[in-house]
Order: sequence, then structure tokens, then C-alpha cells
Amino acid sequence: MTATLLLVAFLVFAVGATIDLLAGIGAPLSRMLPYLAAAVGSGCLAASGALAVTGAPGEIGIGNLLGFGATALRVDPLAGLFLTVSGAVGVAVSLAAAGWARPEHRVHGRGLGSAWSLTLVGIALVMTAGGAFVFLIGWEAVTFAFYLLAGHRRGPTQTARDSFLTLAVGKASGAALLLGFLLLTSTSGSVQIDSWASVPDNGARQAAYVLLILGFGAKVGLVPLQIWMPRGYAAAPGPSRALMAGVAVNVGFYGLWRCLAVLGAPPTWLVIVVLLGAGFTALLGIAHATVQHDLARVVAYSSVENGGLIVAGWAVAASGALAGVPRLEVLGLLTATLQLVAHAMAKSALFLAVSTIEEATGSTELNDLSGLGRLLPWHGAGFAAGALTLAGLPITVGFVSEWFLLESFMQLFRVDGLGLQLAMAISGAAVALTAGFAAVAFVRILGLSVLGSAPSVAPPRDPADEGGWLGRIGVALPAFGCMVVAGLAPYEVGFIANGLAPVVPPHLVAQAIKSPWVLQPVFADFSILSPSWLWITFPVGLIGLAGLVLVLSRGAALRVRRTPAWHSATGGVSGPDRYTAFGFANPTRHVLANLLLTRTELRELDPEDPSGTNLGYTADVIEVVDHFLYRPLLSPLGWIVRAAKSLQSGRLDAYLAYMLLALVALIAAAAALS
Amino acid sequence: MTTAERAIAFADDLTQQVAGGARFAGLYATSADTGMRLTGLLAAPGEVVPLDAMLPAGASSYPALTGSVPAADWYERAVHDLTGLRPDGHPRLEPLLVASSEAVPRRVGGHGLFSVPYGPVRGGVHESVEYVIETPGEDIPHLRIRVAAKHRGIQERFQSLSVADGVRLAERVEGIASVAHALAYSHAVERLAGVEVSRPAGLVRVLHAELERVANHLDVAIGLAEAAGLVVAVSRFGWHKENVLRLAGRLCGSRFGRGVVVPGGVRSLPLLTAAEARTTLETLTARLASDVAELMGTATFLDRLRETGPLSVERAREWGALGPIGRASGVDTDARLHRPYDGYLGLRLDVRARREAGDAQERLRVRWDEVTEALHLIRSAVDALDGAAAKEPIVVPTAAPDGRGIGWAEAPQGEVLYAVDITDGSITRCYPRSASFHNLGLFPDVFAGDIFTDFAFIEASFGLSIAGVAL
Amino acid sequence: MPWPLRGLRDGILTSRYPRKPDEYAESWRGAIDVLDPDRPERHDVAALCPTAAIGQDDQHLVSVDRGRCILCGACVGARPDRFGWAAGTDLGSPTRGGLVVPQRQEDDDSLAALRVDLARRVRAFGRSVHVRHVDAGSDGADEWEVKALTNPTYDVHRLGIFLTASPRHADLLLITGAGAQGMSEPVAGTLQATARPVVIIAAGTDAISGGMVSPSYATAGGIGDLIDVDVWVPGSPPTPFALLHGILLALGRLPEVRR
Repeated sequence: MTATLLLVAFLVFAVGATIDLLAGIGAPLSRMLPYLAAAVGSGCLAASGALAVTGAPGEIGIGNLLGFGATALRVDPLAGLFLTVSGAVGVAVSLAAAGWARPEHRVHGRGLGSAWSLTLVGIALVMTAGGAFVFLIGWEAVTFAFYLLAGHRRGPTQTARDSFLTLAVGKASGAALLLGFLLLTSTSGSVQIDSWASVPDNGARQAAYVLLILGFGAKVGLVPLQIWMPRGYAAAPGPSRALMAGVAVNVGFYGLWRCLAVLGAPPTWLVIVVLLGAGFTALLGIAHATVQHDLARVVAYSSVENGGLIVAGWAVAASGALAGVPRLEVLGLLTATLQLVAHAMAKSALFLAVSTIEEATGSTELNDLSGLGRLLPWHGAGFAAGALTLAGLPITVGFVSEWFLLESFMQLFRVDGLGLQLAMAISGAAVALTAGFAAVAFVRILGLSVLGSAPSVAPPRDPADEGGWLGRIGVALPAFGCMVVAGLAPYEVGFIANGLAPVVPPHLVAQAIKSPWVLQPVFADFSILSPSWLWITFPVGLIGLAGLVLVLSRGAALRVRRTPAWHSATGGVSGPDRYTAFGFANPTRHVLANLLLTRTELRELDPEDPSGTNLGYTADVIEVVDHFLYRPLLSPLGWIVRAAKSLQSGRLDAYLAYMLLALVALIAAAAALS
Repeated sequence: MTTAERAIAFADDLTQQVAGGARFAGLYATSADTGMRLTGLLAAPGEVVPLDAMLPAGASSYPALTGSVPAADWYERAVHDLTGLRPDGHPRLEPLLVASSEAVPRRVGGHGLFSVPYGPVRGGVHESVEYVIETPGEDIPHLRIRVAAKHRGIQERFQSLSVADGVRLAERVEGIASVAHALAYSHAVERLAGVEVSRPAGLVRVLHAELERVANHLDVAIGLAEAAGLVVAVSRFGWHKENVLRLAGRLCGSRFGRGVVVPGGVRSLPLLTAAEARTTLETLTARLASDVAELMGTATFLDRLRETGPLSVERAREWGALGPIGRASGVDTDARLHRPYDGYLGLRLDVRARREAGDAQERLRVRWDEVTEALHLIRSAVDALDGAAAKEPIVVPTAAPDGRGIGWAEAPQGEVLYAVDITDGSITRCYPRSASFHNLGLFPDVFAGDIFTDFAFIEASFGLSIAGVAL
Repeated sequence: MPWPLRGLRDGILTSRYPRKPDEYAESWRGAIDVLDPDRPERHDVAALCPTAAIGQDDQHLVSVDRGRCILCGACVGARPDRFGWAAGTDLGSPTRGGLVVPQRQEDDDSLAALRVDLARRVRAFGRSVHVRHVDAGSDGADEWEVKALTNPTYDVHRLGIFLTASPRHADLLLITGAGAQGMSEPVAGTLQATARPVVIIAAGTDAISGGMVSPSYATAGGIGDLIDVDVWVPGSPPTPFALLHGILLALGRLPEVRR
């Protein structure tokens, strides 16, 4: 059954892609069908995954199809876990995409639907691959599909540049994975992923581990390979951001989980590097998310942040494995998985809402957006749910995962070794700081853009259009998930326990459930949390308080005299006279000036300007990684490229000479080695 | 000369004198039957020189001074508001004293910038003033001050008052510097009449002027301590200030020294015996010294003042910054020293430490220097009064001939100037120039890198009164 | 000595007013009285006053309108037989006419109705009253006296009276200043934003009549034209005790004998 469902999913995706390529985008139905098919396929993936987790793994043998020995698509519990998450979110995102694609002029040409299907196929391939090459094919499919998605809007040159950057980093990650796999394969003698467990702990294995973390890290936005993420996500059209950030990003995490399952703990120094890198990634991501003034970029940078948080949890697990504390490994992995689930749902909801906001108002500029909740009630609520989740506030699933994350860092006393402890402490501090700024970042958007007064600028094109019922359902599903899953957190942990079986023993994971209601951070008697109980006390408390106020005021609380907001200013003020999103973020720009390298400047403009505005104020932040790592490399790289170009003379005799020289050099090298 | 030539000659003359070292101290216009008289006031050692230009009826503009004399900015706006006379080439001729419902264009442009209109009804007990802060969220790159809400038409109200009633209005131009305003007004009348006040009268004037200074500086300290959340310090200094006001009340019947100063002298000698006054003063001096030492040793307090709201020496000099604000930035314009009057002629003014840092802390230090000196002066005045011959009259008849008199006094905020025109014993024109008016123009300049939470400190450290600005 | 100890070193500095009479308040030269008010005055004493506070009726009987008096003492100086200083700070009145001394008309029904209405409004405040001060064109001295209410000598917090920043929290508006035209809109806006019921106090001679500043093209000559005033407190500026008396008068919290 599991395998059948997987097979059906592939078939449905193929049908969807075919419809897109053959039927074009002429009719509403042909625009919608590829995504509806993708939704069905995603549903099959989720079902297949869920079956595998609950005890019915499946396998599709594909023989020696690729010519590297017999291999298979396997749905074991771990793959099943990831398929369930990605597939379930994929259903919602694909439904919303179908609603989004219905009106004309949104889809710019055939190809988007196929790229959509290709992404999902790639995800399924990566997660079920039994062998290295299937894995790589899936990986490259996702990379290529990302390029197509990011580059779909062929308007601005910036989009072209951003999609190319997405492709470049994707290719680099593929190359790193290929090298890593080759190193492992050459030692173990097999392309089967499971066989690598036998690779002895030597330099090659360590090198391979580094390469794999780099490869997977690029996909999840780990510093220093996060640079593509905000640009690539922001460039992609409409709901495809949700597909990239909420669904496809999980392949990177899957890779890391699989590494831990197959290869065990990485070497100590690497764990330390990953701990610090993950903490830094989270902080850098949220710092930029807090100060961005484009809604899509805010959400995209929050993906970087969450990549950091999830990998931080993974690194805690690795520390546990390394230090021989199985419970810590369990806790770290459980934490990371919880955060991953929360992120997948919240990020999809956020990006789907962003897409609708963009369509409705024609802008994602935060300073122009306000009162979205009134304008787009469904997507406003969806955005609120996603934002509260990623801000880690109670009664959302984000609160549960963030609690686990902080609890897991508090276990640092259980590991030995100063280096590891220090790294955990520093990373934990960064994560705690990140949690704080996440609240700032999302409160800003929630308060100023979603709530806030009625929209003042950018009148909606069609306020009634929230992507139709499909769009509403699409955003409601993950938003609902963010809330409901928190109430059912013990069941979620139980499900994850089964899913993590290939990595850690389920009975240990299940120790996170202290009683059917209450969770604990795996270690007993440390602390407890009952998200389900919060779900009862919060609403009851709120209603009780409201009732108390009513009773104590003898109903006076309902008799309200309404007056305009108090404002004693005499004359008018030209321009906005209330906090802008930019202004709200300015304290963060100052507080985190060391991280953001904030530059503020007040300069004289033309004093004769008839408008009277003759001072200009700018406040810029700098992407440290981009600025100090890649920028300096650009000019030498350009030089090398130009130098290499001069070889390209176009003369046949010169090319023959190069070939001859290369052959001679090869033979000389071979002779010297043997 | 044509109108234009007269106006240009006036502007050139004034600019040259300022370039030659005179301090620009005021500008006002007087409507007359024959046209508009434009008067510039230039402070020189020993006197304040008026510079007149008579623009014939129908003249509507003159070349703006602000380009070459920065401090003329607000004066030219005020003249424009009150008379319609237009300074050609003024960089930003926005309404200052007349309420305007028009939105003034923003000065600072940029992504995400917005304005915070702060006032005129503000949190706490403040005089009404509206600050429009143009901000990107935390910094204060620019702020505009609107004082028009409090404009009371004082200058026109002076006209047609009798000389005797004029001093009663002068006391209410800037209520927290009643004595200084009454002094400057009376000095103008006395100089016109060629009258010298008697020794006891001069000493009573010093007594009240210095008490007023102590009260004002204590009020600034309260404001600063309140901004820093030093509850006990606020209470202590509030108590000291109350005692100073009560001392003034017991001396003359008014907590603000009102009704004491009249042209020609003072209304009465202190109602308190010298011994009572001395006891009160000694207690006050001792308590104050102890609390001031503690305040200036409170690190959490000083941290908020240091490098907050800095006014550079160059800017202060160029502007001719007055009073404690100028003295904290190396510019001393103390009228008591440079153009001494009344009892100050016979009393010793301490040589004060030269202060140039120009931040809020320096301004507070200047104020404490002045408080110490003022208490010393009060004590000296009480002693001298005790020994002064009772037979000397406290008020001499002052019959001012027709003409214009210029008087000055050093208020707690700085130099106050009055130019009073008298015809037939009534005032035909009176131009009060408070130090607050002159100094408030500097306020937007001192927010170098300071943020919202510094605002309260900087405002308190200036210690100005809006009533004296809006007139 | 650290600040907390400094706060204790001088003991209790606070007045017991209104529970016990305060010596300073009792002895304060707070107002002008007409001496021998039933003797007609043939001379034109009204001209003595720079603010037209002195009135002379048909029978040449003299009265002083404390709502116009700026306490300059010109009348006392010129005619000490007719005018004298009155001691005390209990000067506030719920009616504008109540500020004229001597009172020649007894309370009528409308005054009683006013009192009932005021009492009904202040009942909702209980013993906690939040005061929002608004400057409608003062000379700056009034603000000092309002601020003084919170210093240790007066410490109105002990009476449950607090100065508040937002009119949303205010029960009582304390308005100073001559009613500058530029402030008419802000005052109206503040009143609109203030919670109901609300009580309004005009504090100071400027706020009552414009005092020395009126007549002027830029002021309304008192705030009575801008807003309905419940209690009038004279003084130029009104002393803290006079302000406190006015507030307590509005709240009906003065001991009976002191009315």
C-alpha cells in the first residue's frame, strides 16, 4: 500500500506536468489542473509516509535502471516522517496555488506547473532514495525546479539575477553532495546509502561529513550559504515561495537526519562548528528579518533563522551522540523535528498570505501595508497564526518547539568537554536572543500591517478575492495546523518517535511524554509543559476575565463612548504621522548594529528644493556574510574567468595543443603515481 | 534712497557689525503711520545698540539676514508673522507665532521616515508647545518647534498701557522669570528717564532676581532627576524649590517676586527681618549643598547627561547662545558682568569656571555654579540691606520723556532685553526679547546622535519657558 | 548619604491640609478684600485697577472681582482705607459670580442645582482622582504651582489625587492660561478624549478672565468661552494651596466648616 501510494504520487505529478506543458495556460481549468494534481500527489505522499511511520514501510525496486547497481525507492519510518510533513503541507500549498493560478495574468507561461510538479517529484525522490544516485537526481531536480520557480517572473533583471544565484548555490550544494557521496562510496564500495554506516572513522569520512553538511546546509540556509535564500524566495511568484520554503526546504533537513542515522555523530570539531554556525545563522536571520521593509524578504529571512534553529537542535543531538548521552541525542532530534514541523506549517501559511497580500494590494512594501486583517480576513488570520507560531508564542505549535529547543540547550551540563559545552552555551545564548527578536520581528508585522488602521495606501484590486475558496482553504489548513497540533502535541511527539526510529530508539523519544497530557524534555524531573492544558486555560481564562470585567462593572464595560484617538497636534503633518514599519525596526537596527553593521547618514540635499525637503536620511544594514566573504571574492573570480576566457581563442590548432598538453600531464602524473 | 536701497543698507550694516564682533541680539518691526520701522538689536560691551531702518509705507520685504546671521532665523519669522514684512531669501519661512492649520512640508526625506507630533498637550505638567519630530524611529535627525499655540499677543497688549502698568504685563511675559522681565522693562524706562535707582532698591532687586535664579535652576534639576527616575532627588529638590518660593513669598508677598520691581526702584523693602532671612538662607544653603553633591555623584544620573544634547562652542558663538546654555559652551553673555546694573555694581560676582563641553551635564554644572553664586549674592544683599541707611528712598520718581529706552537683565534663562517706546507717559511700542526665544532656536541643533529617551533630558537641560517665546 | 536615606532624614514635611488647617495657607496674602463694603465710595476707585477688577455700582458700593484681580496691590497702595489684603487660600468658587467680593446676592436655586450636578458627577470618582493639566496660554508660572502639588510639602497623592498624562485616564481637567486661540482646538480635543464624567477647573486669574494679558487679539480672555467650567480658582498664579482647595471643592471633599 505504501509503495503503491508513492507510485501513484509520481504518476499524478507526471500527469500534472504533462497537462501544464500540453494544455498551456489558456483556460482557467488548465491553469489550475497541474496544481490540483500536485495536491492529490502530495496527499498520496503524505499518506504513504504516514503508513510507513505507523508500521508499514514500503519499497519500490527499480533494479539497475541507472546502471550503478540495483537500487530501490524505500519508504522507511524516517522517510515516511518527512514525506508526511512535506506532503501534508504540500496539499495545502498546492490547493492555494490552484486558487492563485485561476485568474489570468498571474501565471506567465507554461512551465510553472511543471516546475511545481518537478519540485515535488524531487522531494519524493530525495526522501525515498536508497542509493546515492537517485538521491542526487532528486536533489538536482529540486535545484533545477527552484531555478525555474525563482526565474518565472521574467520581468526585472533582479529576478533573473536572483534565480541564477539560487541555481548557483543549488549546483554548489549538489556538487558538495556528489563529492561527499563519492568519498563514502569509494570507501564502502557501494552506492547504497545504508552501506555507508560501515565506513571507518578516517579523514575521508570526516571530509565527506563536512561536504554533506555543506550541501544540506546550503538548502536550509545555513551560514555562509544562506545568501540565496532571501533573494530566491522573494523572486519566486506567489505560492511557489510557500512550496520552496515550507515544503522543499525539508529535503535539506532530511539529509542531515539521514546523515545522523547512517554515519552517526560527526567529529567533535565539526559539531562545535555546526553549533556555532547554527546559532549565528539564527541570529543573523532574525536580525535581518526584523529590519527588512519588504514583507516577502522578512518571511524569507525568517527561513534563514529557522534553518539555524532547526540545525541547532540537530547539533545538540549530534553533541548527545558524540558525548554518549542517548537521551540528549533524542531530545535534540525531537526538538529539531518539532521545530521543523512548526516551521513547515507556519512558513507555508505566511508565504501564502504574502502571496495574496501582494495580489490584493500590489505591494509587499511594509510601510504601505496596514489593516490587512480587515482587508483579507482569512489570509490576515493565516498570517497571524504563522507569525505567532514563528514568534514562539503560547498556544501555537511554535511555543512547544521553542520550549523544547531552549530546554535542550539547558542540558549542556550533561555533555563532557569544555569545547562542546562552550559551543552549546554560546549557541544557546544566540538561540535565546533569536527567540526574543523573533517576537519583535513578528509583532511588528502583526501590529502594524495585519492589525493597524484601515489601509491608507495601495487600494486593493479586488478585496473579495482571497484566492477563492481554494486559496482560503490553502492558507487555513497550515494555520489551523499551527494551532491544533499544539493542542495535540503529545500525539505529535508519539508520531515523531516512530518516525525517528532509524536514528534513535522510539521508546527513548516517547519518554518526552510524561503523561498523556504533559511533556518533558526527555530527561525526567527537569521541567514540564502541557500545551494541551494551555489550550484549555487560555481561552477559559480569557472568557473568565471578560466575564469578571462585565460583572464587576455591572455591564458598564459594554457602554462605551467612542471618540477619535487622542491627538492634540495643531496643524497637519505632511507624510505619515505614526510609526512606520521602518521606524519600528529602527531600535533593532541600533541594538544589533554590531551584527547588521548599520550605517545611518543624514546628508544635505539641494537647499533650493521647492518642496522644502532638503535633508536626506538613510539607514542601511549590511549582510555581513555577503559583504565580507563573497564580495572580496568577486573580483579575483572575475579575473580568473577573464584569464580563462583568453584560452578560448577559437583556433582549432590551439585547442588541439591544449588537449595534447593535458594528455601528457595526465600520463606523467599516472606514471609518477604508479 | 529707495525702499530697496534702505533695506539693503540696513541688512549690510547689521551684517557688518555682527561680523565685526557685535552680538546679534534681536530684530523687530514697528508699524507706524509713515511705514515700517525695522530695528535690529546689537549687544556690545557696556550697551545694547539699536539699528533702525525706516521702510516707507507699502514696503513688503527686505533682504533676509538669516543667511549671514544664523540667529536671525526665528526673529525674521516672527517679524513676518506679526507684520507681514517678508525677509527675501529666508531659507524656511514657516509660521512661528501664528497658528497655522497647514501641514508644513517635511524637512527630512527618506525611506520609512515619519513625523511624531508631540504636543501641544503633552504628558505631564508642561507648557503647551508642539514638537514635530521627523524620525526614522529612534534617532532625531530633525525636529520642528511650534510655539504658536501659546501666542498671547503680548507685544500689542503692551501698546497703550501706562508705564506703570507695563511692568505688570512684563512680569507675565515669562512668568518664571518675572523679576528679570520686570527689571529689564524698568531699566529701559529708567535709562530713558535718566534715573538711577537707590542703593537699597538695587539690593532688593538683586535679592529677588537671584532667588528667582535659584528657583529656576532647581526646577531644571527636578526636570532632569525626573527624567532619570530619581524619585527621592525629585522630592528633595522639589522641597528645596518650594522653600525658595516660600522665602520669596515671605519677602514680598508673591512667590514669584511679582510686584516688587517698579520703574524707579522697588515697591517695598523686604517684609522679613534680616535675621529671619539669614537663618532661612543658611538652612537652605546647607541642605542644597549636600543634595547637590549627592546628585552630581550619582553615576546613573550623570550617565544620562554626559554627551547628551551637545552644543558645540562654534555653534554657540555663532548663534550668540545666552545664559547657562551659552556658558556651558564657552560663550559668556552675562549681562550682570558685561553691563552691570542695580545692586550688582557693588557686589562681587565670583569668577566662574570656564565650561565648554556643552552637554546636558555641563549645563547642569553651570547652573550649580550659578546657584552657589546666587545664594552668596542673596546673602550679601541681605547683609548690605541690613546696614543700608533707611532714609534713602526705595523708589525715585521716574518721568520718562518721549523716546525709546533699551533695558536688560540677566534672567535665569539668560539675557532679557526690552526696547520700550514711550509717548506721553504711555507705551507706544514694547519689544520684549526673552532669552528663551533666542535659545530655543538652538534646540533642534543639539540632537547629534541622541534618541527619543534623551529628549526629556535635553529639554529639561535647556530650562526655557515657552511663554517667553510665543509672546 | 544614599538617596533612600536622604528621603528619610528630614521626617514628614507634608502639610495636614485639609484635615488640619495649614499655617502657611492661613497666613497667605491670597486676595484683596473691600474694607467697610457698605460705605459708598464717591471717588473713582475702579480706575486704580489695571485689570478692571474693581467695580462700583449705582449706589457707589465697591466690589472686587477676584477673577480679574492679579494681586498687584495697586489698590491697597493707593487706598489702604478701602482695600486690604485678605489672608487664606480658600478662594475657589463653583460659580464665576462667587469670585466677586463682597457677595451681595444670596445663593439662588440655579446655584443649588449646579452643586447637585457637580456632586453627582464626582460621586463616580470615589477617592481616586486623576487630574490632567492643560496649558491654554499661561505665563509659565501656573505650571510651576501645579507641579508643586506633587512635591513633599503638598503631596496630593496622599489624598488620592494624581496628575496623569493621558486624558483617557483623567477625571478632572485643570486648565491654566488665558485661552490662547491656538489652544482652543487642542483643549476641545482633549476634552473630547477625556473620560466621562469630567470636572473642569479654571486655574488662575488668566484662565478666569485673561488677567493682565486681556484684551488681546490672540486670547479669548479666559477659558470660560472655550469650555464649561465647574470650579474657578483665582490667583496670579494660584498658589498650590488654592489649587488644592479648588480640586477638593470640586470633589466635595472639604470639611464642612471650611466651606
